[in-house]
Amino acid sequence: MGEARRERGRWSPLVAGLVLLLGIAAVTAAQEDDKHTIEPAQARRAVTLIHARCAVCHTTDLIVQQRLPPDRWQVTVEKMMHWGADLSKDEAATLLQFVTARYHPGAPDHLPSIEEELATTAPAGGPSPASDGPLVGVSARGAEIFARNCQACHGEGAMGGAGPKLARNKILKNEGAFWETVLHGRGPMPAWGSVLSHQEIADIHAWLASR
Amino acid sequence: MAVTRRALFERVLQGIGAGVVAGGLDRALAESQVETTGQASGPLTVRVSRPFDAETPVREFTSWLTSNERFFVRSHFGPPSAEAIQPETWRLTVKGLVKDELTLSLPELKKFEPVTITAVLQCSGNGRAHHRPKVPGVQWERGAAGNAQWTGVRLRDVLQRAGVKPQGLHVQMQGADRPALPTVPLFTRSIPIAKALHPDTLLAYEMNGRPVPLLHGAPLRVITPGWMAESCMKWLTEITLRADETPGYYMQQAYRIPETSIQPGSGLPGSVMVPVEQMPVKSLIAAPAEGDTLRIGPVTIQGVAWAGESPITKVEVSCDDGKTWAPARLVGEEQPYAWRQWQYLWNARQVGPTAILCRATDAQGTQQPEKSPWNPGGFLWNGWDRLSVTVAA
Repeated sequence: MGEARRERGRWSPLVAGLVLLLGIAAVTAAQEDDKHTIEPAQARRAVTLIHARCAVCHTTDLIVQQRLPPDRWQVTVEKMMHWGADLSKDEAATLLQFVTARYHPGAPDHLPSIEEELATTAPAGGPSPASDGPLVGVSARGAEIFARNCQACHGEGAMGGAGPKLARNKILKNEGAFWETVLHGRGPMPAWGSVLSHQEIADIHAWLASR
Repeated sequence: MAVTRRALFERVLQGIGAGVVAGGLDRALAESQVETTGQASGPLTVRVSRPFDAETPVREFTSWLTSNERFFVRSHFGPPSAEAIQPETWRLTVKGLVKDELTLSLPELKKFEPVTITAVLQCSGNGRAHHRPKVPGVQWERGAAGNAQWTGVRLRDVLQRAGVKPQGLHVQMQGADRPALPTVPLFTRSIPIAKALHPDTLLAYEMNGRPVPLLHGAPLRVITPGWMAESCMKWLTEITLRADETPGYYMQQAYRIPETSIQPGSGLPGSVMVPVEQMPVKSLIAAPAEGDTLRIGPVTIQGVAWAGESPITKVEVSCDDGKTWAPARLVGEEQPYAWRQWQYLWNARQVGPTAILCRATDAQGTQQPEKSPWNPGGFLWNGWDRLSVTVAA
């Protein structure tokens, strides 16, 4: 500010004003750019949250078709949390940053679905191949993975919610059906094959079986 | 599963799909989209898979009546569980500010005098995708509307049986559908007593001569002819007479528009918001289709027009992107609340790209505007319909 005031003495006010305007324009353009880019790891985290927490009530196609400015996205996310979307403050911030950057008024008409986003942002290494030999689930890890991904529908302690109770559910004894449902989804349940690794699914199964 | 997915889907659409689980419905619908792809007459255009929201491709509007299978579908939570609307146990209750509470089974309800009315049903958000700046919500384009024949009994007759107390000024309606989470507000609406007592306001149990299908509100839905579809409660189970408008999100916040026009893109206005009620004058081009290449020579342009409670008096067509307009011929008979078909014979002489537009005028002299007033919910779009086509030699 002090710099600008000193320069104003040397330059005509008109030129100074012009320089200031151009400067603001450049900074705003840079911020616009920043707003529309998002770190791949953050994007991955956000689309996983959308898959796990928003799809409890509605499919994610509803989100991908919106083209909203930041203030309306914020109101929308707050409304959803008020209605019970299971998001911590931190998670909501991640999600908001992503939808604001991806689904803004200037974005193209057609953008990839959340499922496609999940497939293209798969974590390094990707889901482990099924042919690695038998997977041994670790129950202690499963509890945390369940809380992050499954609890929004299946309830705390897997006691049921919008989705069925899984504690002592007979599907746990039918591993084929369990894996089919988790990997490919069933009815309102989305597919988790591109979100969870096979090891993580085995961990969830181990934890559920211990309940 | 004992029934095939295809058969299941058909049963769902016919509203006799007892025992359908939510999952089965989703998958049945998803597969039906695949199965019908490539058929001469295409499927619905899905906007949201769950809850299932889908619009009718406008080429279907070359028919005066829209078939049940191709009628647009919109709800907030999807259909209720099969148990909630089982014919044996389903009941309609009428309570609140009435002299005698009523509990009616479907056969009991059908003892009132039956009435049949043909009426347009249109989602308030139809055309939301055309608003600029864009607004949140399902991005409906042109086809969240349809014209069907509704058979049922007068809401008035049922209310008279119960005896509305003088303080009963609003009629609250509740369906059997429920959100996935109990923290989400129920879809509860009310209409003013004058509309409820109008002899054309129906409790409909048939749609185009068949039981109302599950996706369209089986076994009973409200029809408020001339009004937007959010007043036409599906899966109706409860009617409550109240002194005031229903509180809650879906009446006090959603489905409201600013009373006076506001600056596009401005935040939620402090100005007075009023409930969406009547359908404004609107017309659509059903044929030709967007992007069509037409042969030079005569081209039949056809479509539909409607205006809530008012008849259509004029439809005009422009084949040069709005520079000149000519009147279309209104086809068929005028019927209150139904849409009116129209035709225009265009002699296409100039090769190249052009745009075809249409606009309607109602009996009050209200003409469809080029663009609708912007509102934060993106409701009541009724701007001129517009197609880009190319004329080839």
